[in-house]
Amino acid sequence: MKEKGNVFVVPAIVWVFIFTIFPLLYSFRVSLSSVSYGKITGFAGIANYLRMLSDYRFWSVLRFTFLFAAISVTATIFLGLFLAVLFNRKMRGIKFFRSLMTMPLFTAPVALGYLGVMMFYEESGPMNLLMQTFGLGKAPWLSQPGWATASVCLVDIWQWTPFAFIILLAGLQSISDEIYEAAVLETSSGWHVFRYITFPMISPVLGTVLMLRLVDAFKVFDIPFSLTSGGPGTATRTLTFYIYTQGLRNFDLGYASAMAYVLLIITMVIGLLFYQRYHGLYE
Amino acid sequence: MKRKKIGIIDVFIWIVVAITIIWVITPFYWAVITSFKKPVDVFRLSAIPWVQFHPTLENWKMEFTQRGPELFRGISNSIIIAVFASLIAIAIGTFAGYGLARYKYRRWKNQNMAFWFLSQRFLPPAATVIPFFLLMKTINIIDTRLALILVNTTFTMPFAILIMRDMFRELPNELEEAALVDGCSRFGVFWRIALPLAVPALVSTAIICFAFAWNEFLFALVLTYKNATPMTIIIAGTEHTQGVQFWYVSTRLLMAIIPPAILALMVQKYIVRGLTLGAVKG
Repeated sequence: MKEKGNVFVVPAIVWVFIFTIFPLLYSFRVSLSSVSYGKITGFAGIANYLRMLSDYRFWSVLRFTFLFAAISVTATIFLGLFLAVLFNRKMRGIKFFRSLMTMPLFTAPVALGYLGVMMFYEESGPMNLLMQTFGLGKAPWLSQPGWATASVCLVDIWQWTPFAFIILLAGLQSISDEIYEAAVLETSSGWHVFRYITFPMISPVLGTVLMLRLVDAFKVFDIPFSLTSGGPGTATRTLTFYIYTQGLRNFDLGYASAMAYVLLIITMVIGLLFYQRYHGLYE
Repeated sequence: MKRKKIGIIDVFIWIVVAITIIWVITPFYWAVITSFKKPVDVFRLSAIPWVQFHPTLENWKMEFTQRGPELFRGISNSIIIAVFASLIAIAIGTFAGYGLARYKYRRWKNQNMAFWFLSQRFLPPAATVIPFFLLMKTINIIDTRLALILVNTTFTMPFAILIMRDMFRELPNELEEAALVDGCSRFGVFWRIALPLAVPALVSTAIICFAFAWNEFLFALVLTYKNATPMTIIIAGTEHTQGVQFWYVSTRLLMAIIPPAILALMVQKYIVRGLTLGAVKG
């Protein structure tokens, strides 16, 4: 009977081998090859990997990706935690509020990017018109590197704050009332309750949110593609964006595959950290 | 603890609620009203229909008449791709989820297998997009819905496996054991007892997979260019041809946004598990 169980898992395992493992191995081979016009022409060793070291565009793209991840992940988690702590109480309409908050999560990021183009349109878009009514003048939302970075982050934060909120709220709600009641007997400070009871108890959930958000932030492509096209110039190009441009627009497939492996290593490191700390959640 | 300060805290909460709702709704609201605006009104700060501008159905009419075929193709491609991808993912995922929940595997331990499936959540699409492009060019299925169905199945399957594994683990085992004693085969137990009990979870998981497949963009951009383009690509194309004609752009954005958003409202119960692949129960 034990052996029969294989029937259940084998299809999934085979699927992963065909559609994930095999493409990854193939891509590793491509990353070690010299490629011209989409055809592998020869073995290149680690030349593609060495090329990154002297490619200033790669470094600027990598810098932006880290910057974006840092800003966006920090902001979503703080905002999400703030909202979750605030709404972790019995109140009417919380279900409606939670449902409303899930809507951004299920909106195509690429659609949000174009929605952002509409909102941030510099000549008489709503954001600038609103700022002008308050006498703040126009902001170069999409045409100045600093502001464009802010816009990309803002759209991402808008979309993913609900993610942190919903999951952290679920984490908070799983802490039983008795623990709080006991804590209240000990201290009257809300901050102490949060610092010594709430925070330690939701830290695994917080860790899960952090890891998932980090991974998604490093993979981001849709929003910069649609909102700023990576611009102005190349100021808001992410690593995935650069891989896409090099590999599938300029057909420099070897180099793009090598960069994709760097991205893979970054996300796998995050994944391993996650596994180390939270494998218990999946046992 | 909270009873004493109830007044101040309540006021504060309602202010935050109001701000958050406005913050979440505004972009959607803006897309909706823009799609009913005349071009003249789009570039003025006008937000209240009938008071600040006169709504018109002109944009929607134009959209369905002039660009109807392109739009129809986009929507039907999106539906076909998302439906088939989520069906295959849920079928294979349910099997694997059941296996992981009910059997102890010896060669590969259950936990390792679960994490192996989970690790695909960490895989950047950029790492597989180039090999997929090359391989699919080789077997000549670029710009077919099949290509995107395969891709989206691959991405959504880990979700299906891990969520279904969780669901089956929470079902009581006694019923299944009793059926086994009565001479039912293990597969029969799965089919007649476990599966019917898991239907609500199954439907929700399928919906979450559907939404992910519907929203996928990078692979659609690389693997399709004409016949198999889904809605996400159609809206990206609108940007280029229609530019700042936001009154047209917004109609399409809404058509891409609304289906998964409505579906999301139906799966509230499973959303936390879905988003964390079962790590957090909500």
